[in-house]
Amino acid sequence: MTDPDPPFASKDVQSTLMRQTLVDRELIRPHTERPVVRLLSWLHVVTIGGRSIMDRGRDAVVPVVDELRAAFGEHRMLIATGAGIRARHVMGVALDLGLPTGVLASLAATEAEQNGHIVAALLAEDGVSYLPHTSVGHQLAGHLAASPAVVSNGFPPYEMFEFPSPVGKIPQHRTDTGAFLIADAYGAARVIYVKDVDGVYTCDPATAAEGEAELIPRVGAAELLAMDLDTLPIDRMVLELMATAKHQKEIQIVNGLTAGHVTRALRGEHVGTIIYTD
Amino acid sequence: MERQGDADSLQSLLLSRSLTDAELLEASDAAPDYAILPDANVLKIGGQSIIDRGRAAVYPIVEELVQAKGEHQIMIGTGAGTRARHLYALAAEFALPTGVLTDIGAAVAGQNAEMLGHLMARHGVPVVSGTGFGALALYLDECGAAIFPGMPPYDMWQHVPTEGVIPPYRTDAGCWLVAEVFGARSMIFVKDEDGLYTANPKTEPNAKLIESVTVDELIDMDLPDLVIERPVLELMRHARHAKTVQVINGLKPGLITRALAGEHVGTMISAA
Repeated sequence: MTDPDPPFASKDVQSTLMRQTLVDRELIRPHTERPVVRLLSWLHVVTIGGRSIMDRGRDAVVPVVDELRAAFGEHRMLIATGAGIRARHVMGVALDLGLPTGVLASLAATEAEQNGHIVAALLAEDGVSYLPHTSVGHQLAGHLAASPAVVSNGFPPYEMFEFPSPVGKIPQHRTDTGAFLIADAYGAARVIYVKDVDGVYTCDPATAAEGEAELIPRVGAAELLAMDLDTLPIDRMVLELMATAKHQKEIQIVNGLTAGHVTRALRGEHVGTIIYTD
Repeated sequence: MERQGDADSLQSLLLSRSLTDAELLEASDAAPDYAILPDANVLKIGGQSIIDRGRAAVYPIVEELVQAKGEHQIMIGTGAGTRARHLYALAAEFALPTGVLTDIGAAVAGQNAEMLGHLMARHGVPVVSGTGFGALALYLDECGAAIFPGMPPYDMWQHVPTEGVIPPYRTDAGCWLVAEVFGARSMIFVKDEDGLYTANPKTEPNAKLIESVTVDELIDMDLPDLVIERPVLELMRHARHAKTVQVINGLKPGLITRALAGEHVGTMISAA
């Protein structure tokens, strides 16, 4: 498309997208259709759940951290931490005060960050540091050349720019989603979610009658959304984003309370539930 | 004290349920909506449409804003424009991911905010971003306006589009989200057209101006081109504060002032 208004043409920088609104899909398509490169194809993104692991304290966290440390020779990792019970508390206070979703997102993200500082401290002797978002976004390659792993806040840097939610005011971009987005942007080898259940069940194993809840070992993201289960061990937004992701066509949920599962998942073994793009 | 009962039950749901639990989400929906800056207006100055045109377009707007800030509190967001398009085109050639495009595109909105900041400096108007938003209330109170770069800080965590790599949430979305989170009085997009047309008026001479439209109608119309980023429409569906936005022509003197006064001088897009 050329400028219909010649006096201003001199103020343009020549490019294939010049003077486009960047809204018309037909006009953008020819210029942006190359398959996206994987910036860090060797990267493993491991998410440590807030409520499911961190809040359980020493008994749950130390074995998971030990397994990650043992795998440092084999894999380079971005460890993303979740928020947990303190985030629930602060969101409760903020909701009561009438504050908006963007403020809740910012407050809750702070708690995920604090959990990250704790995990980084536990791994400091192995050369692991906590990195803020700006470093994860711009210097991850350098840090992981110097160190086997880094820890960061699982929440993405949406904060006051969080989307309003379809129902209610709980922010939608939380740890599961943040870890997925950064893994896809870097073209990571895999994303593993360390939780306190073996994976996705047909109903909530915590409340269902004995034997009623069945583990689903492998399921499509869209299929799982369509099942409309009451409780999922992973945020729904991740399942929605899997439909358009450029690289991350599979995610894995493993039980951090079962010894060896994190290690096996890092090696590519099928433990827990694998969710794939369908 | 039913109100207290609701608050207690919301707190107990928050501490016991999954954050995707339907009952919890319903309970959070019933929480009050406190508007943080209800007297402030968010005004977005287009990058390609206004700032890239240079002083012919920008000086008169600065003058109008300086007059208006005596009467209205204005948060001025900036768009990116032609350099962002060059960066996107270049990065897309290297097949870089959307996150990288978001980051480099954000810098262009930052440059535009910087330039506008220098032009408005003598009137006491600062540029804010990141943690600087913490002092926004003071700036608005003291001098009536502040400038911010419109790009949301999603960086490498930006959503990827269905096709291609262009960041879907850019400066229109960023400015709208600022209006929404602060509970602003109005959201005005200043562009170089009279509003929203049935097609791109720059290339389609038969394009017709739409004076008022709802988000649902607009999504149904599925226009190939739009004066506003498409994902803003989806965000507006869930708005709690910024339920109406107006798109106006910044090249016509006086329209910014009239829009700030609440007049309908362009296209009104409403959530319902």
